[in-house]
Parts: sequence; structure tokens; C-alpha cells
Amino acid sequence: MSVLRNMDTDVTYNEIDQTVLKTLESPSRSYWLVIVLLFLGVLVGAACWLYQIFIGIGVGGQNNPVAWGTYLINFVFWVGIAHSGTLISAILYLFRAGWRNPIARAAETMTVFAVCIAGLFPFIHLGRVWMVYYMLPYPNQRNLWPNFQSPLMFDVVAISTYLMVSSLFWYTGMLPDLATVRDRATGFRKKIFSIISIGWTGDFEQWRHYTRGFLFFAALATPLVISVHSVVSWDFALAIVPGWHTTIFAPYFVAGAIHSGLAMVITLMIPLRKIFNYQRFITMDVLENVAKTIIFTGLIVGFAYATEYFIAWYSHNIVEQESFRWRAMGEYQFGFILMVTCNSMIPLLFFVKRIRRTIAWLFGISILVNIGMWFERFVIIIGGVAHGFMPHSWGLYKPTGIEFGIMLGSFCLFFFLFVLFVKHLPSVSMTELKEMVSAGSDNEH
Amino acid sequence: MNINMNTEKYIMGFFRDEDQAAQAVTDLKESPYTLKRVHGPFPSHKISRALGQKKSKIGYFTLAGGIFGFFAGFVLAVYASIQWNLMVSGKPVISYVPFFIVGFEFTILFAVFGNIIGMLLLSRLTNTKIPVQYDDRCSGEYFGLLATCSRGELDTLADFFKSKGGETRIFE
Repeated sequence: MSVLRNMDTDVTYNEIDQTVLKTLESPSRSYWLVIVLLFLGVLVGAACWLYQIFIGIGVGGQNNPVAWGTYLINFVFWVGIAHSGTLISAILYLFRAGWRNPIARAAETMTVFAVCIAGLFPFIHLGRVWMVYYMLPYPNQRNLWPNFQSPLMFDVVAISTYLMVSSLFWYTGMLPDLATVRDRATGFRKKIFSIISIGWTGDFEQWRHYTRGFLFFAALATPLVISVHSVVSWDFALAIVPGWHTTIFAPYFVAGAIHSGLAMVITLMIPLRKIFNYQRFITMDVLENVAKTIIFTGLIVGFAYATEYFIAWYSHNIVEQESFRWRAMGEYQFGFILMVTCNSMIPLLFFVKRIRRTIAWLFGISILVNIGMWFERFVIIIGGVAHGFMPHSWGLYKPTGIEFGIMLGSFCLFFFLFVLFVKHLPSVSMTELKEMVSAGSDNEH
Repeated sequence: MNINMNTEKYIMGFFRDEDQAAQAVTDLKESPYTLKRVHGPFPSHKISRALGQKKSKIGYFTLAGGIFGFFAGFVLAVYASIQWNLMVSGKPVISYVPFFIVGFEFTILFAVFGNIIGMLLLSRLTNTKIPVQYDDRCSGEYFGLLATCSRGELDTLADFFKSKGGETRIFE
């Protein structure tokens, strides 16, 4: 039975509590060093953004025709990273996949932070960031309302909804664990956890409503996550730019998002289980299952790449054909090669059992998939507008140092928040692990 | 009332084992003692069944939120576009397909709000004060069955819990 294979069922409830609560003890000096280094990276990003606000959006490499640069690439990248968290916490919950339990909390946390960071990029891309309120629908004396026919407005609605829903889902899921920490804490920490656990006592009357509510949460988060990346894809697909204007974009983007997010899950889980001695909970079987899912999403993404070429050939549309010829043979060939290799070929190595059960391979491949998925967005976003309908308006784009600084800041901010999280809140769900142990011991009988 | 408070005693039986706890719940319901509450570190189906719990009605809150959300999103999009009664990109001023997307996102958002409100109200989670008859062990590894009896029956109720394999705590 998979539940038994995915976790050591000899573990007692007390051992689960002790292992997770130990992660919340006072951190070592090396922890603070990591925090400081990451914070410095965040400051670099903030300084670059501040410079851009003072000087103007021209400090980035965006130009005519390539008006969408790394800010939009990073936006799509981080939304994508977020998606697998919801896949693990909601979709796999509905499928009753027991192996998701030990990693669901960390994955959902990844979702919340990744959406926050993704949400920053439209602000950064806006240039005059103080004009952001123009996107919000509210009564004003100019009687200017946003145009809800625009996919960019779908995006505002979808991303805000996603941020709110995933934050609430994350918090709700954590509620019983917050009570566990409250009951074992003393002093100031006890006060804090008493407030944030809002009176949870594990009364079965509470569980009755909680479990039903959690199920609805998962059932609502599932179509939401699919709609969010579909909406992101329509930012492109609803424009008539060759290479963007295709109906395959929504499923293609959703699969790609989950592909990159799963890779990020492995990237985060490997150090997490090592540092906090979670090996008995986040077992090799759990990581193996994530790797198997990466094979699946990698195949879908590979199929989407091939379909785009097939349609370009089959349609006899010369603009489309030129666009895709240039994608593979033009100036951004390196991006195309990285995208195809890292996203659809290298994950096939996971077919070999020894590779998907070796930590070094898992970690290395997960990093490569992340790099590949970043370049996929580069190839799609830059490639589309750089080589459009009119040869006289073709052009190239190169990110500037300021853009790289902001990108570094975004990565540092993500890891900064995640590292803060793992030492201050339970990074593994004690409740769900106890459920797993209980289900496992039932199966043994 | 005062007499009642003085005579009614609270005692909690603790069970590490889920099956023993479920059995104790079943037996306690058939006994003369009153089962007040059951606390546990995770939702056990066996205990829920033993308690004879019905399905939560939280879904009505979720549904109401969802229906409200759909119309709120759709109406907002329609209202915003008729403020400038102008055709953009050849699309009608009131375009059903794009507005449906706004409606859909609002459906999810408000359904979740309804879900949260339902959860808070039905579980009475707005009060951060923990009841006096609560034991920290119930969020760790024990299921705690809180029962009441008269002062004279305390020992027999404690023996009852012990005979089912549990430990006990009397709340003064």
C-alpha cells in the first residue's frame, strides 16, 4: 500500500510532534548568516527597482518591438512555480494521494510566496508604479473604469483571487498545527500562537466542519489553479502575435507551470529534509513520486513544443512557419535548445529508477528543469514580439544589469521568506502525518 | 443552577489508540454518563462514526458565496463597460465570454470567503479563549473524551475510562 511505503509507520505521534517542533527552536548562527545574505540580495533588487523608479523604465532593456522583457518572464515564471503547490495541496488531496502529505505544507507555502513575488512584477514592469490603482475598478471622478475585455484585467482578477485563496488555504491547513505549537509553547510565543490558532481545540465538532470546509477549499482551488495559468497564457494567446496566437496555450502553460513548480518542490525539499532530519517523513518514495510526476508533465510540455511545430507546418501559414524557424535557428537559438533539452529531454532520465532515487541526480535535474522553464518563457515572450509580422520591425532584446538585479532580488526574496517560514511555523503538517500513520497502521492490521 | 455546578463534575479520558477511543465513545453513549466533547489531534473517521456525526452544513455557506461571487463579478464587468459605451476591438460592449471569466474568478473567491465564514461560525472559532476543560495532550498524541457525572460517580466514571484502556484527568 502506497501510504505505508511513503512513510515510516513505526513513527509515533509524539515523535512527529517532537521532530517538527524541534525545527522551531532557536536557530543557529549559520541560519542568521543565510538570512543576512538573502536579505542583502533582496536589498540589491530593491535598490535596482528604486533606481528604475527614479530614472525611468528605460533603464531596462525593453524596446520597440520587444516591450515585454524579463519582468514579464519572471512574472510568468513565479506564477508557474506557485502552481505545483496547489497541485500537491489541493489536486492530489482530492485524489487521495497519501504521498503528498509530508510535502503539502512546504509546497503550499511555496505557492503563497511565489504568487506574492509574481504579483510584484507587473508593478515593476509598470514603470510608473504609483499609477497601479488605474487597474482597480472603483468609482472615480474621471469615470475611468478598467476594460474587463482585456486579458490583462482577467489577470488582475485571477492573480488577486489566487493570492487570497492560496493564503487562506495555507492558513486553514495550518490551523490545527498552530494549536499544537501553542499547547507546547511558553511565554511570548504562546501568546502569539494563541492568537493565530484562533481557539482551535481539536473538538470533533470543529473537525466536522473543518474537514468538510477543507474539502471544499481543495475542490475550489483545483479549477482556480487551472484558470489562473490559462488566464496568464491568454495574456499572450489573445494577441495576434505569431507564436502566441494559439489555442494550445492554456493547457500548455498549465502543464509547464506544474512542471517547473514540481522541480522547485524537489529543489526545496532536498535541503529541507536534510537540515531538519525529515528523512523519515519526506522519504525517498515521496521524492520519487514527484520525479515520476515530472516525467509526466515533461512529456506534456514536450508534446506541446512538437504540436506548435506541427501546426506551423500543417497550417501553411508562412508567418507562423518563419516564426518557428527563427525560434529554433535564430539569435535566441540557445534559449530554444535549453528549453527543449532541460524541460522535455533531461526529465526522461527519471525513467531510470536509480536516477530518480539518487539525491544528487534529483537535485541537479530539478535545477536544470527550473532553468529550462525560465528559458521557455524567454523564448515565448521575447521570441514572439522580436520576430513578428513585419520584417522591418524585427528587433532584438537583451536584459540590462538593472533587470538582472531585480531578478536576483526576486529569487533572494523567495528564499528569504521560505527560510524564515521553516524556522517560525511548522513546515510539515503534523496533523496530516498523524493521519498517515493512523491509516498505515490500519492497513497493517 | 449553583447546586448543579457544584455537583456536576468534568472528567476527561485520554486514549492513545484511536480504536479504543472510538469504542469508549460508543460505550459512553450507552452509559448513564454524559459525553460532552471529544478532542483529538487529527480527524478520525472512526470516532466521527462513533459520535454519529452528520455531514457539516458548511457547503451552504460556500454555495451562497459562490453564487453571490459570480453575479458580483459579472455585474461589475458589465457596469464598468457601460460607463464608456464604446466598442473596443470589435467586441460588443457587453461581451459575455470575457465577462464570464471575471464571473468565474469571483465565484471561486467568494465561495472561499463563504467557506471561511461558515467554518468560523459553525466551529465557533472566533473566540481565542480555550475552554477550561481542555488538555494540551489532545493536540499531541491523545484523544480526549470529556464526560460529566455527579460528584458521587467520579470514581466509577474514572474506572470506566481505565477499563477501556485510558488515562483520566478530573477538572476541578
